[in-house]
Amino acid sequence: MATTAAEARFRVDAPIRGQRATRVVALDESATAVMRRVAEQTWGGARFYSYEARPHSVETDAELADIVLRTMDGAEARLSEELADADAMVMIATADDGAEAASAIGNACTLRGIMTAGLILGDGREAGAAVMALRPHARVLMRSTGEHDVADVLTALRA
Amino acid sequence: MLAQETNELLTQTGPGTPMGELFRQYWIPALLAEELPENGSPPVRVKLLSERLIAFRDGEGRYGLIDEFCAHRGVSLWFGHNEETGLRCAYHGWKYDVTGQCIEVPSEPEDSIFCKKVKLTAYPLVKIGDILWTYMGDPAKRPEPPEFEFVHVPSEQTYTSKRWQESNWLQALEGGIDSSHVSWLHSAGLKNDPLFKGSKGNDYNMADLKPFFEVEEVDGGLFIGVRRNAEEGHYYWRITPWVMPSFTMVPPRGDHPMHGHLWIPIDDENCWVFTFDYQPVRALTADELQAMKDGHGVHNQNEPGTYRPVQNKDNDYMMDREAQRRGETFSGVKGIAIQDSSLQESMGPIVNRSKERLVSADSGIIKARAKLRAAAEALRDEGVTPPGVDPAHHRVRSVSIVLPKEASFIDSCREAAAVSPGVRQTSV
Ligand code: FES
Ligand SMILES: [Fe+2]
Repeated sequence: MATTAAEARFRVDAPIRGQRATRVVALDESATAVMRRVAEQTWGGARFYSYEARPHSVETDAELADIVLRTMDGAEARLSEELADADAMVMIATADDGAEAASAIGNACTLRGIMTAGLILGDGREAGAAVMALRPHARVLMRSTGEHDVADVLTALRA
Repeated sequence: MLAQETNELLTQTGPGTPMGELFRQYWIPALLAEELPENGSPPVRVKLLSERLIAFRDGEGRYGLIDEFCAHRGVSLWFGHNEETGLRCAYHGWKYDVTGQCIEVPSEPEDSIFCKKVKLTAYPLVKIGDILWTYMGDPAKRPEPPEFEFVHVPSEQTYTSKRWQESNWLQALEGGIDSSHVSWLHSAGLKNDPLFKGSKGNDYNMADLKPFFEVEEVDGGLFIGVRRNAEEGHYYWRITPWVMPSFTMVPPRGDHPMHGHLWIPIDDENCWVFTFDYQPVRALTADELQAMKDGHGVHNQNEPGTYRPVQNKDNDYMMDREAQRRGETFSGVKGIAIQDSSLQESMGPIVNRSKERLVSADSGIIKARAKLRAAAEALRDEGVTPPGVDPAHHRVRSVSIVLPKEASFIDSCREAAAVSPGVRQTSV
């Protein structure tokens, strides 16, 4: 039976099962500022973190690089633990400061089969560098013009 | 996922709706020039953006697109007589010119001025390339005519077909933006279709089924780049332009003609798909043209005398389970165009986007919806002219190219993705 307008009404009307567990990581200060505002909206299973590049925030001595993130209320969190039940990773960047972290996150997600996306804020040279830094590590790269755009993507992904 | 009210905003294009007003900022294809082949041709009923209109070419060759229904008592002018200077209603003989002006009311005295006060809504209808274009918005804001390359190359270099799709325009457009379905739904076409097969790009396409995506904003809309692994240190990029609101081009393959679509709302549950193929610098060969007319490539075959596909929802698109089992087609449906329309119509006339479960590979679609919504709201709230109205935005091409890994596709392809008359397309 073709899906006519009348027939379309009989689509099973139940919510899609399984909440998505999205992790959002801002890779530099300007990205964190945008993410903070987005994080204030109501989200499903999404959790938000920022990353600051400083010595030892990327541990490469372990078998697989792990990194130290900060939750929105300032607590320390380890990437490896936060990825345990995640199924999507969205990285936000305005420049290439977080290149090392992007690589660690990308590898960790590949290993665990977690979907990745990168949102680049702004244009110009800095943002161009961010594209280069994230390209190998995000299945999708998208230029975003700001908060509104970031929220749109997270909503579309049911974060 | 989209909230239900956003879904409604993007899918409703009737008069007075935000998306309807957005569409009314642009020149859009109304019908093919072949539908009014000569002066005095029979008039054609055309529904666009939920308005019922009648297109005609009067005895002196002027094109008109006017309200379908006679001002007198609402009879369809489709039954009318197409005369030297206008269309005469079959009921009581009122006559209208191409501007919708009533020029004769036979029941009134010879010198009556009554008819001067009767005018039907009319929109301009102009022939550019093989298409008759109209503009349904405020005459004071009428933009310069369209400059898409396929309607400006010499006629022997271009071919356009049209089909009726029984779904909302947006789910049809989304298929044009989403290139991640090509390696699945159209996989067989890459091998067999005369207008696709045998390009180097196809090998890259099929060798890497998990491509990466990059979405870049440009003045008129988006460029969506999809990259796959190529030789050491290189990526194979396929770049799809979207010019707002509804022009998309498929990245080219080898020396095959370049193709694309315009997805035009008929009403909220139906759309016209205008499908073109062209060569920027050479004539189409007889074989290419024949293949298009036979419904290969992105074209299809319509029921004779109509624009409804021969494969349609009433015959389950002539689904062939055996061919599906043998791997000749992935979905069992033959032909790239109907592979798309069958699936898009199967979603129902207006798909419920609050029930979707999108993935990162859908980013082009996510971004396109966001841009449409932003443009519709900016127009409604602040009267901002949307992207894609300026004909300079139309001068884009799709691209397929191998680039070094570190190259930015958008910076590397500025020239390749722009129209340069006399310059061949950039295609692998
Ligand atoms: S209804 Fe058309 S002339 Fe009377
Ligand atoms: Fe398709």
